[in-house]
Amino acid sequence: MFYREAGKLVGSFGKDRRMLPLLEDRWLAVLFVAFMYFVVTALASDYMFTAILIPIMVLGVATLGLNIAVGYTGQLSLGTAGFMCFGAFSAFNLILRIDWMTIPLAFFLSGMIAGGVGIIFGLPSLRIKGFYLIVSTLAAQFFAEWVFNAYPWFLNYTSSGVVSLPMHHYRVFPGQENTPFNAAFWNSSQGRYLVTLTVTILLVLACKNLVRSNTGRNWMAVRDMDIAAKVIGIPVAKTKLMAFFISTFYCGVAGAMYCYCYIGNLDFMIFNLRRSFLVMFMVIVGGLGSILGSFLGAIFVYAWPIVITRGSDFIFGGGAIDTAFIENNSKIVVGTIIIVLLIREPGGFAALWASSKQKLRVWPFAQ
Amino acid sequence: MDYAFFIEVLVGGLLSGIMYSLVAIGFVLIYKSSGVFNFAQGTMLLLAALTFVSLTERMVNFWVAFAITLMIMVVLGIIIERTVMRPLANQSLLSLFMATVGLNYFLEGLAQGVWDSAVHGVNLGISNDPIFLIDKFPAMGLDIIISYFDMAAAGIAGLMILGLSLFFTFTRTGLSLRAVSDDHLAAMAVGIPLSRIWAIVWAVTGVICLIAGLLWGDRVSVSFTLTSAVLKGLPVILIGGLTSIPGAIVGGLIIGASEKLGEIYVAEWIGGQGIEHWWAYTTALLFLMVRPTGIFGEKEIERV
Amino acid sequence: MNSPDNKKSILVLKDISLSFKGVKAITDISFNVYEGEICSVIGPNGAGKSSMLNVINGVYIPQEGTITFDGKEFTKMKPHSAAVMGIGRTFQNIALFSGMSVLDNIMSGRNLMMKANFWEHALNIGRAEKEELEHRQAVEEIIEFLGLQSIRKTPVASLAYGLQKRVELGRALAAKPKMLLLDEPMAGMTMEEKLDMSCFIQEINRNYGTTIVLIEHDMGVVMDISDHVVVLDYGKKIGDGAPDEVMNNQDVIDAYLGVSH
Repeated sequence: MFYREAGKLVGSFGKDRRMLPLLEDRWLAVLFVAFMYFVVTALASDYMFTAILIPIMVLGVATLGLNIAVGYTGQLSLGTAGFMCFGAFSAFNLILRIDWMTIPLAFFLSGMIAGGVGIIFGLPSLRIKGFYLIVSTLAAQFFAEWVFNAYPWFLNYTSSGVVSLPMHHYRVFPGQENTPFNAAFWNSSQGRYLVTLTVTILLVLACKNLVRSNTGRNWMAVRDMDIAAKVIGIPVAKTKLMAFFISTFYCGVAGAMYCYCYIGNLDFMIFNLRRSFLVMFMVIVGGLGSILGSFLGAIFVYAWPIVITRGSDFIFGGGAIDTAFIENNSKIVVGTIIIVLLIREPGGFAALWASSKQKLRVWPFAQ
Repeated sequence: MDYAFFIEVLVGGLLSGIMYSLVAIGFVLIYKSSGVFNFAQGTMLLLAALTFVSLTERMVNFWVAFAITLMIMVVLGIIIERTVMRPLANQSLLSLFMATVGLNYFLEGLAQGVWDSAVHGVNLGISNDPIFLIDKFPAMGLDIIISYFDMAAAGIAGLMILGLSLFFTFTRTGLSLRAVSDDHLAAMAVGIPLSRIWAIVWAVTGVICLIAGLLWGDRVSVSFTLTSAVLKGLPVILIGGLTSIPGAIVGGLIIGASEKLGEIYVAEWIGGQGIEHWWAYTTALLFLMVRPTGIFGEKEIERV
Repeated sequence: MNSPDNKKSILVLKDISLSFKGVKAITDISFNVYEGEICSVIGPNGAGKSSMLNVINGVYIPQEGTITFDGKEFTKMKPHSAAVMGIGRTFQNIALFSGMSVLDNIMSGRNLMMKANFWEHALNIGRAEKEELEHRQAVEEIIEFLGLQSIRKTPVASLAYGLQKRVELGRALAAKPKMLLLDEPMAGMTMEEKLDMSCFIQEINRNYGTTIVLIEHDMGVVMDISDHVVVLDYGKKIGDGAPDEVMNNQDVIDAYLGVSH
């Protein structure tokens, strides 16, 4: 609608394969990233960072991870929060116990550890199919909930069960102490935002690359018809395990980010079954098998209660509607939206976005 | 090793496992007839219990309350079938499952909104006293204790199974249900009214939810923790096979027994309480690795 | 037409028997398929033809018998090994990947030739891009050959049946197979589409030397393009030879006309 998409021809397969084939799209992407890095960092309020931007990105990454397993590879996983838990605890213990560990490295390693756990709990998928498979990821979920509670070593023997992450954990690069980018900076809401933003962008790019490559095709083949995939030579077992590995890698990093960048505490109670379901809702609402959808779903499911609270405060004055009502209301609304979406638009918000774009392209002519 | 104690734990586990089977049967019914994995089963159970409890707390007679709740559950079941399942009938099973997950969330919000989080008690008049087998049957020489309540629950569950089996085998509707569960396109082709059957199934499930909800409510009291106790119904049906009612019983026995045994004998070694959830799922996982569609479940043959 | 005398067998089936829970689908079938020929497997419905193909590429495992492909003998084949050895396959009820486009479906046929690992894919470094472009080039040749250019980015689920069958053929071709198993490639097609498909099959056989085994009901097509015909009925082989011989075989005629035997 704003710029012409038709008639833009490409001259080579390389150009056809690009993530953003249109020049205007690429400019928009660059501007968007620049905006997020410079303008938002300078101007946004603390509230914006801590309550809106950071959680949405973190949850978006978790949703992306789950989408890889469920949306792209068709393997049902209900253990998302459990894998996030593994990631969070790995990151904490790595930073705590290894002097030279930095946050980026810790995040990466915790993702790898979560990925390893994911492979273990993904092994049953080689033998078990369909709904029966949820038993494996649910086992992972409950195991995660138990193991970090049962062995206080993981929490560094903190008696209260919640560890407040100390300032000195925020080591992003060696030798940062004497620069303006020291631990205090990285622990501030701006610093955390920048870390989250960078990690999110890198993970989204990696995911996009994976999805449009042979790996992504293998995933989707296994999802669509694994017998046919086997017949054409796709190593189904390896593909499934790879999907679990990468999916839980993303969830693990999201878990680490959740603790370090979002809430600033390490608390295993938050990584419960409810949260796994919440992320599953984000995937369904956003759209299975869509990167954009993962973030749209995260935004909707996370932000809905906030919108209601803020909206009602605005309309009726502060504190007019109490939190319990909001909580129940958001459950009812999200539940209804899921059902309605599945009936009308199984592709979720991502599909709605695509079809609205199509309508805008031909506007004011009809479809 | 104290054999009497072992048997006591085992028997206790088996009996409590029947309680899980009660939940599982509802799952199986719906899955069998429509292929839908009804995730909202637990919340429906809770709703049944809450409705009943609200009525009895307002001094409504037990049986009247039972009848009213029954009607409400049946109506709820039919509404769910009509508004959620029917429009989604031709979509993938994954979508249907997701819909029940959404439904579950919806019903939870509804329940929390209408009732608060207070804990309610249900008194079914079934005694909670322990039975001392050594006193009742001294000849057996078993110095063990069994819970009267669990036995009564097992008895009720048994009656329910019997009723359902008779229903499925000997009535027209039961036969139609089995046809629908086998192949619903074929059932349509021979003139079986699909949506009426599905409505019946959901209504019957509502009844099962009520009975199970009441028994559970008496056992652990009615509150939102009920839904998580009920989550154990999942490994039960996964072990037994999603399409098998006998499987639900066997699965319940296995999970119940392994849970209690695990709690007593294993928990000390690996240091920690609260292993029950993942223990149950791991047990189910091990069984599934040997029989990927459950002990009595149907094997799906993929035709290319 | 080629005679079996001086030809090498690329596929030898010996005494294959297959049953499903007591129902015998295939009973003691043996035949050879010669390298570079087009061999049609025909027979009335339920004769066991699709099951035979499924046995050859490992989707079903026979209770008895051996399969020898390209000199190597197996009692049971695995689908993955069949693909690696160069056996390609299309299916009666189209087995395309419904969530992907035409291009992606055919590209997935090249997966055995792609060596990059997932790190290279994720970071788009190393062999990832290079392989992708290389194989895209090869796949585009197949797309051109099959006339699918205009629909290459269309999701296959929205294509007409005849086009889907073509895409499936393309996917099987992409792997550069030594032998292609085609299960009723022309079922449900119009005269024109059948003509196109026959031309494709013959060209594939001529240009790439691919051996073709196909299940087909249209006798006209069978007589036209086959070098060798095998007839099955009730799970048993009742005819095996050049098209003319087989067509004049009384047993075959009886089977098709439904004479009780």
